[in-house]
Parts: sequence; structure tokens; C-alpha cells
Amino acid sequence: MAEVEIREVRKSFGRLEVLHGVSIGIQDGEFVILVGPSGCGKSTLLRMVAGLEDITRGEIRIGTRVVNDMPPKERDIAMVFQNYALYPHMTVAENMAFSMRLRRARQAEIDTRVKRAAEILGLSALLDRHPRELSGGQRQRVAMGRAIVRDPQVFLFDEPLSNLDAKLRVAMRAEIKELHQRLGTTTIYVTHDQVEAMTMADRIVVMRDGVVEQMGAPLELYDQPDNIFVAGFIGSPAMNLLAGQVEADGFRTEGGLKLPIERVPAGWIGRRALYGVRPEHIELRDDGVPVEVLVVEPTGSETLIMVRNGAAQLGCLFRSRILPQPGETIRIAPNPALVHLFDAETERRLVH
Amino acid sequence: MTRRRLQAVANEAKLLLIGIPVLLWTLLPIYHLFLFAISPKQSAFSGNLWPEEPTLRNFEIVLSQQHYFLTHFWQQLGNSILIAVATGVITLFIATTAAFAISRLRARGGRLVMNLALFTYFIPAAFLAVPMYRTMGLYGLLNSRWALILAMVTVASPYAIWVLKQASDKLPYELDEAAIVDGASPMQLFRLVYLPLMMPSLVAVGTYALLLAWNEYLYAFLLLSRDTDITLPVALGNFLAADDSPWELLMTTGFIYALPPAAIYYAFRRYMVAGLTAGAVKS
Repeated sequence: MAEVEIREVRKSFGRLEVLHGVSIGIQDGEFVILVGPSGCGKSTLLRMVAGLEDITRGEIRIGTRVVNDMPPKERDIAMVFQNYALYPHMTVAENMAFSMRLRRARQAEIDTRVKRAAEILGLSALLDRHPRELSGGQRQRVAMGRAIVRDPQVFLFDEPLSNLDAKLRVAMRAEIKELHQRLGTTTIYVTHDQVEAMTMADRIVVMRDGVVEQMGAPLELYDQPDNIFVAGFIGSPAMNLLAGQVEADGFRTEGGLKLPIERVPAGWIGRRALYGVRPEHIELRDDGVPVEVLVVEPTGSETLIMVRNGAAQLGCLFRSRILPQPGETIRIAPNPALVHLFDAETERRLVH
Repeated sequence: MTRRRLQAVANEAKLLLIGIPVLLWTLLPIYHLFLFAISPKQSAFSGNLWPEEPTLRNFEIVLSQQHYFLTHFWQQLGNSILIAVATGVITLFIATTAAFAISRLRARGGRLVMNLALFTYFIPAAFLAVPMYRTMGLYGLLNSRWALILAMVTVASPYAIWVLKQASDKLPYELDEAAIVDGASPMQLFRLVYLPLMMPSLVAVGTYALLLAWNEYLYAFLLLSRDTDITLPVALGNFLAADDSPWELLMTTGFIYALPPAAIYYAFRRYMVAGLTAGAVKS
């Protein structure tokens, strides 16, 4: 196990710079998830840590060693790929033993380690099978087994669950998290799925267009998004964002809707801003604003209702089972204590 | 239910309607060859569908080298085998390493090599026979089996490189990356991951090169001349030099010569289909 230090790292493909100076410090044993839309540079960054991409500028340290010019095999890392990348002509056991075979480890040691990894992942009965005889989830587990066998300083995961169906993804999510709690190995995990990031990470790094937008614990990002991008990216269903103006007694949207603010930030009266409220922080209240129901999506445990007032559309998530008809009018009110305000120009959060 | 059955039967019938003539068309010359081989000399041209007195005497003459034209039969068959196997092996080596370097290691100039390989097919191999003869003369290789081996490798390699490159492009790149992270050097990657996965294509391409050399006449005729150096097809061609050609022996030798390719196709038929179509279409 080791800490990983990424300092002012830049990456260019030809003239195109895709990472514009990224710095992330990862502590020993931490589970860090890089998340962002496709093309944000998260996979490239991971591949640079792995040694599969050159580092154009900056420095990456694993433990005490600068690994910039080190080939992957000397970095003491193990990587799990999105499409599993299992060797099709080898059995499960051979797949897991491959890295040790390359290092000319003793057969007895290989056997012990493969057996241990297989037990951890529940693969003991499948050791003699070939990858084509396994289900998607089992293949993914073999790919993890291949990483575990090596007992590396750092685990790298590149969208490992994207090829699995929704149900299996949830199960594997828990499995990976449990595995991390058990082994305590420093882990860097890349995904575009913010739910995966929220549920598994010790710390999330939100990236966009080659820069880090915000870093922090999952609930920190949820409670205090630094900017509109993070606010919209983290949390599902996504946060409602309404353009308008700060007034002395609240927020007035462009459509003229009056929404409550707990405390008006100093010096902001009359200025343009964005009003952010999460669907789950909207309540049904008789003195709330009237809105027209557009779509009702019941999921059993909660109900998502899309509503409209003028041009403004809002998603509202209710724990209670209410089933209004489309076209009906309901009255809603955001919880003022949980409302976010963003500067309309810089898109940054207003501290209030 | 009955409708569907009828449709299935109709489909089958259509296939048979095409298949049977094609089969006959293909088999007829071979049957003719066989007919000659089991007929005595005097009745070879009788035109019967089956000889009145079938005989294995022709095979006996050929295999025990009892005819003037066949005094070096075994030597020439050996030459054919040696040249075909050498061509297969050398072509495979060149094409596999080239495909690996271009497709997997992304060697610089790979595209250029591929385009040049394609370009060689703009000129029919027969046109190159005389330049090739001259080149081999300059190298001092005329009358050496190496001349024919090298010429056949030259002819077979471009296509072999293309097929293998297409096939390797289909292997997921992550496999290489996984192996690199696992600590494999390029050589280990080649040996432990690439070669095993390419096996079907390798068998197909190796067989292609082998049979190309096995069946070659023009180059063999030009580059080799001593009776003890030539391959069997050239020796067969020499039969026609006489006014009174022993047709039944020519056909018998031809029949024997056709057996190894048939055996190879049969043994590797699974690989041939898989290997030659792999890379033909993008899946």
C-alpha cells in the first residue's frame, strides 16, 4: 500500500492538451473515484498512473518513488479494465497467475496466492474454466482476482462495471467496496456514473474538460457543490437550476416565480444568480408556489414529479406516495435551508 | 407448421439445385484423373465411365520409379515437400512478426508497409518471373532450392501480412495493456498472448503459403533445371516433351500429388474457414 501524489500533471496528444494541470493527493489506503462526463480526461489520468500513457508535464509519485519514466511493471500497480481483458486462451487460474509467472515466482507461491484470491472472490469452483464459459459478473471478478493476486501498492479500476447489466452492477459495487474495506489497498477508480462514485468512494474527484472541478467526500460534494457543474453532476435526479435575480425577500426567477432563501447573501440584492434546489428538497405545502404537473414517475419508495410554472421546469422527489394527474396543479416549496445559490457569470457557489 | 416445413424443404431444394452441379463440375476432372490412374495404358482413352480392367499397376510404376520420366520421383516429391514447408514456415514468420509489429506495437511506417504489400498485387506474379529469374541469377541462387523458396515467400508474404494484420486488429487492445501492466515484455506478449490467440489465422495463412508453393509451376520451371532439383509439377510438365506421352502415368502422379493438399484441407478445414474469414469482415 502507498499514497499516490499527482502533481500539476498535464497531457497533450500532439498539440491538443487534454489535461490542464491536475493535482490530486491520495492517501494510503484511500478509495478515490475520478468521475466526470466522457472526454473529461479521467481515463487518461488513470492510464498515466498505470504507465500506459506518457506524462507530458508534471509528476506522479507512488509511495516515495517518482514513476514518470517507469514502465508499468515496475510501478507495482494492478489494473482492472472495462472489458475485463482476460486472456481467452488461459483458464481462470492461469489468468490470475499470469503476472506471477512472468516474474518467475515459485509455483507453490503462485498456487497459494491464486487460491487465496479465488477464495476472497468466490471463484474457487471456477479455476479450471475458460473466460468464455463465465458470466459477465464472474469475468469481472476474475479480472479483480488478477489484480488481487499481485498484492500491488495501488489498484486501478477503469470503468469496471460499465459492461454489466444494472442489477449486477449494484451487486458488484457492494462487492468492490467490501473488497476494499477488507484489503485496504489504495484504489483509484474511474467511472462516469455518479451513483457509483457516491456509493463507493472515500473521496470523489469531479473532472471536466481536463481540470478538477471539485474534490471531496461524497456527501460534501452533495451538500456543498462548488459550482453549477458539480451541482448538476452529483445527485440523482439532478439538481434543479433556475436563472433569476436575488431580491431582499427571496429569489425571483425569470418567469416571475418567487422562491424562498434562508439568508440573502450580503451585497447580492438585485444581482443575477442561479437558484439550485435538489428534487428531494422540495416539499408539498399549501402556501407554496402553484405548479402544473407534467409527468409522474412512481418508483414505489418515492415519486418523481416533473412540474412546470411558465417556462421553468422542476423535478420534485417525494417520499410520500402522492399520485396527482398530469395537468393538475399542486403547490410546492423548496426547503430554504437546503437551497444553493450560484453566481450566474462565474457559475461558482455563493457563500451565504 | 406445414407451411414452414414446406418453405424449409424448398430452401433446401434450392441449395441442392445449385450445390449438385457445382459439386459435379468440381469432381468431374478429379474423377477423370482417377480414371486415367487406374486404367491400363491401352484403354486409357476408351471413354468408358469405369475401366474394364481396373489396375493399380500405374501406381506401382510411379512409386517404384520404373519409367524414364519418373526416375527421380521420390527426389522430386521430396523437393516439393521441402520447398512447400520452407515457404510456409518462412512466410508465417515474416507475416506474423510484421502483423504483430504493425498492428500491436504500432510500429512507425506500418501503413506504408501495408500499402506496399497491397501494391505488389497490381502486378501479376507471372510478369515478375523474368525479373525474379535475373535477381536470383545475380544472387547466384539459380538451380538452388533457395531460389524457389525465396521467390514463393516473396509472392505469398504480402497477402499473408494482410490477412494476419486484419486478424490481429480484431484482438482487443486491452489484452496487450493488461499483459503490459502484468509485466510482459513485447517478446513475452508476442509469445504468451499474441501467438496463442492468432493460432487459427496462423494455420490458415501457413497452409495458404504452403499450398501456393506446392502448386507452383512457372517459377519452379524457371528457377530450377537439374532433374534432381526440380519439383514434381515441373517434372510432370516434362512428360509432355515426348511425342508419346505416358498419360496414365502423368495422371497417376498428378493424382498422388493432389492427395497431400486434400489431406491438409481436411485436417485444418475448421481453421481454414475461421481463419480466412476472420479479418475479412469487421464484427
